[in-house]
Amino acid sequence: MNTFVRKGDFWSGLAMAALGAYVVSQALRWDYMGEDGPGAGFFPLWYGGLMIVLSLLLVLGAVLKSDPSAASRRINWPELRRVGACWGAFVACIALLQPLGFILSFGLMTWFLVSVLFRKPQKVAIPTAVISPLGFYAVFAWALGISLPTGALF
Amino acid sequence: MDTIGGLLQGFDVALTWSNLTMCFVGVFLGTVIGVLPGLGPPATIAMLLPLTLKLEPTGAMIMLAGIYYGAKYGGSTTSILLNVPGESASVVTCLDGYQMARKGRAGPALGMAAIASFVAGTFGVIALMLVAPPLARLSLAFSAPEYFALMVLGLTMVVLLSGESLTKGLLSMLLGLWIASMGTDLFTATSRFTFGQTALLGGIDFVIVAIGIFAIGEVLANMEPHSAPEMLPVPKGLRNLLPTWEDMKACRFAFLNGSLVGFIVGILPGAGSTIASFLSYGIEKAVSKHPEQFGHGAIEGVAAPEGANNAETGGALVPLLTLGIPGSGTTAVLLAALILWGFKPGPLFIQESPTLFWGLVASMYIGNVMLLVLNLPLVAVFAQLLKMPAFAMYPMILGVSLVGVYSDSSSIFELGLLAIFGLLGYGMRKLDFPNAPLVLGLVLGDAMEKALRQSLMMSQGHVSILFRPIPAVLLAVAAVLLIVPLFKKFNAMRVQVLDQEAP
Amino acid sequence: MNLKKMLCAVAGAALVSVGAAHAQWKPTKTVDVIVHTGPGGGSDLLARAIATLMEKEKLLPVRMQVINKPGGNGAVAAAAVSERKDDPNTLALVTSVWIAGPLTSSEAKVALTDLKPIACLVFDPAVFVVRTDSPYKTLKEFIEAAKANPGQLKQSGGSVTSRDNIVRQQLQHATGARWAFVSFPGGGERLAALLGGHVDMMVIEPQEAGEQVRAGKLRVLARLSENPLPGYPNVPTLKEAGYDITPTPQIRAVMAPPQMPAEAAAYWEDRFAKLHASPSWKKYLEENQLDDHFTNSAELGKLIKQIEDELRTQYQAAGVKVVR
Repeated sequence: MNTFVRKGDFWSGLAMAALGAYVVSQALRWDYMGEDGPGAGFFPLWYGGLMIVLSLLLVLGAVLKSDPSAASRRINWPELRRVGACWGAFVACIALLQPLGFILSFGLMTWFLVSVLFRKPQKVAIPTAVISPLGFYAVFAWALGISLPTGALF
Repeated sequence: MDTIGGLLQGFDVALTWSNLTMCFVGVFLGTVIGVLPGLGPPATIAMLLPLTLKLEPTGAMIMLAGIYYGAKYGGSTTSILLNVPGESASVVTCLDGYQMARKGRAGPALGMAAIASFVAGTFGVIALMLVAPPLARLSLAFSAPEYFALMVLGLTMVVLLSGESLTKGLLSMLLGLWIASMGTDLFTATSRFTFGQTALLGGIDFVIVAIGIFAIGEVLANMEPHSAPEMLPVPKGLRNLLPTWEDMKACRFAFLNGSLVGFIVGILPGAGSTIASFLSYGIEKAVSKHPEQFGHGAIEGVAAPEGANNAETGGALVPLLTLGIPGSGTTAVLLAALILWGFKPGPLFIQESPTLFWGLVASMYIGNVMLLVLNLPLVAVFAQLLKMPAFAMYPMILGVSLVGVYSDSSSIFELGLLAIFGLLGYGMRKLDFPNAPLVLGLVLGDAMEKALRQSLMMSQGHVSILFRPIPAVLLAVAAVLLIVPLFKKFNAMRVQVLDQEAP
Repeated sequence: MNLKKMLCAVAGAALVSVGAAHAQWKPTKTVDVIVHTGPGGGSDLLARAIATLMEKEKLLPVRMQVINKPGGNGAVAAAAVSERKDDPNTLALVTSVWIAGPLTSSEAKVALTDLKPIACLVFDPAVFVVRTDSPYKTLKEFIEAAKANPGQLKQSGGSVTSRDNIVRQQLQHATGARWAFVSFPGGGERLAALLGGHVDMMVIEPQEAGEQVRAGKLRVLARLSENPLPGYPNVPTLKEAGYDITPTPQIRAVMAPPQMPAEAAAYWEDRFAKLHASPSWKKYLEENQLDDHFTNSAELGKLIKQIEDELRTQYQAAGVKVVR
């Protein structure tokens, strides 16, 4: 029983089925047919329904197909942690854009990525974290005139 | 209309020093804009409009048009090197272009993109010159039912783009359809899937989804601890920097495909270069002798869509210059520019302003040549970009994505959406859901829904409107495209069963 | 005697200084004009023209710049203006979309009545057009045909909340005729649908139709404008064509953040009045076929309320869900 639980297909299929159910539930709240033609709910009902059918097919396939390698495949936690850290840094950069401005927040993110995730020594990380945002600023804000977020500092 | 005479007159106009300079400035700017994700031709042209008022109209128009088709050349660069679509039409180029780069063939990919763009772009100009007015009538014959059928045909491409699991491909496409339906419904003013957010009322911009899923997703997927972050192999030597003769031979059909499909889709108001590039990619794969290579670095997979999105420029100018009808955001701004300068784009335009029309056409020939000359050496320059170590490049990709999205709308909310789609892109990669169908669903799904509802509004509910001559043909082709692979699969299963039964 | 003189002097000085203080508010930094379209869109072009003309007529000591806040059918721009609360250096160039949006979407949190009116500039005129080869030579003929064949004739237009559809609702209601409405998001597609024979009639801006009329492809049946349209002489209004309907106007007006100080608002109202009186503005209106309809802030406030009520009624009659 445990072999298919590990399978990505199973979970993604369930997630898609849930999304499909959500879409259908919303679609039912809108008009299916209006006076002048199909209403707002027409399309979502159909593709939501199709989503449910196909995702259940996916789940079924995951359950029925025997995949001996699945049992030994474990979730690669270290990799997920790295991905999560990278993504978290990206989100943090976005969140800090308005208070800190582009140069600082992008610089911080670059520094984090280079030194923590790529494990480069500080003497590589810090110059990169300084040059990169300045380079961006030079190319985009100065040369091309695209306004970058400027925060409290710059 | 005396074509040769007009063309000669046009070259007379286009070959003046000032107009040549304007042409060069335009195509150069266009290339730069094409390379930068997020910043697109419509916004740039609109921003330059006030400046152009001070310039002489013909020259200014030549420059703006140069930006328009120059951007199509540039768009392939980041698609191939970084898996970041430079603009929406370049998404398809990412599919095979980036894979080629991973295999050390970035040079040929970039070179082929430039060459295909040149061939198709020139074709587009020739077609514009020769058949513009009669084609205008064709473009008018296309309305909602025809668009619907065209979109259905486009969506059947999902079958060809799904790789191994058709189920996952279809689910990916449906996800794209869902994202496309977010926003305010045009016909009933109902808000759909906006989660109460004001910023979602207008729907989600395609660029955000594409950059998030392709670029950010790629960066996240490359954060694997054990593999030393490997750079894309840098092609060594000049020979490896450009496509070989075999490559060129292999792409013969792709050139034709891209040119025709791009131009024809271009003349239809409302159908954009993204559709053109998907369709030509799909057709190329469908007729290829080695379809399984598509998605893994087939050079035709770069030539066809790149050609299509350049030929589309020529096509889009047909309704603009012969009818005064803008078919897309960029042509709408060009229309505004023409009006601002006192020209009258409409059915009488070519007759009344032959100097502008022919000057423009001639300058487009010149512009395409300039772009080829500009872009081929740039291949070497850009290929060197690959030498950048991963730890510098990946943050840079993130940065370029941020700036690209921010420059469009200055909205932190949209940057947040970018992050979400990045995560989605990563998830899809890990779970083996193909990306391309999502983009397909996103771009075509919305258009298809609108076309269907418009058609039914036109016919007051009678579905028969969908079986007028043109839509019927397109739908039949779509049906064939869908049924044939199923048939093949069925046949294969049958053979398998027979094999098993035979002792 | 000296005390009286002194009091007069003090009073005089006080009055002068108060008067001077009022006359003294001027913008000191670049003025932002927020629009809800992207670069190249209608409001964007008009705002840029205003900035250029203000400079030309030397009406402002500072520059004006256009800030594009597209998205959400005007809701994003409205929210942006509202956020600037009492900033005297922010203006918005609005259209009727800013009134219509909040009526139908609950996500649009800022209604036009929440902002401060400055002045109304123009109305957007429109004309009813058919193809030259169609059998209808007057609006009456079209409507009679529609009455005889309900639902058979078709009009292409914008969204269901747009002016095209509202005036259709008004006409249908007044005459009992019924014809279909097909929404296209882009003006180019609407025109293509008409020219290609897929629909029978559309309501279009005179500028967009100009070239087609000149080339003999389209015929104009009636106009929606207060003042006669240059270039379209002898085209009747709805009333002249026999239909006693006052179409809901499409306004283009200047608004300000909700708490802009009174003296700044008065300054802006005065500037726009002067712009309106200038010859280059008149020339611009004529070249762009815009319907002159200047009102001051008080009138604008009333006009907005009136339009809001009219739209609400029309939407409900059309079956569109109204949330406010």
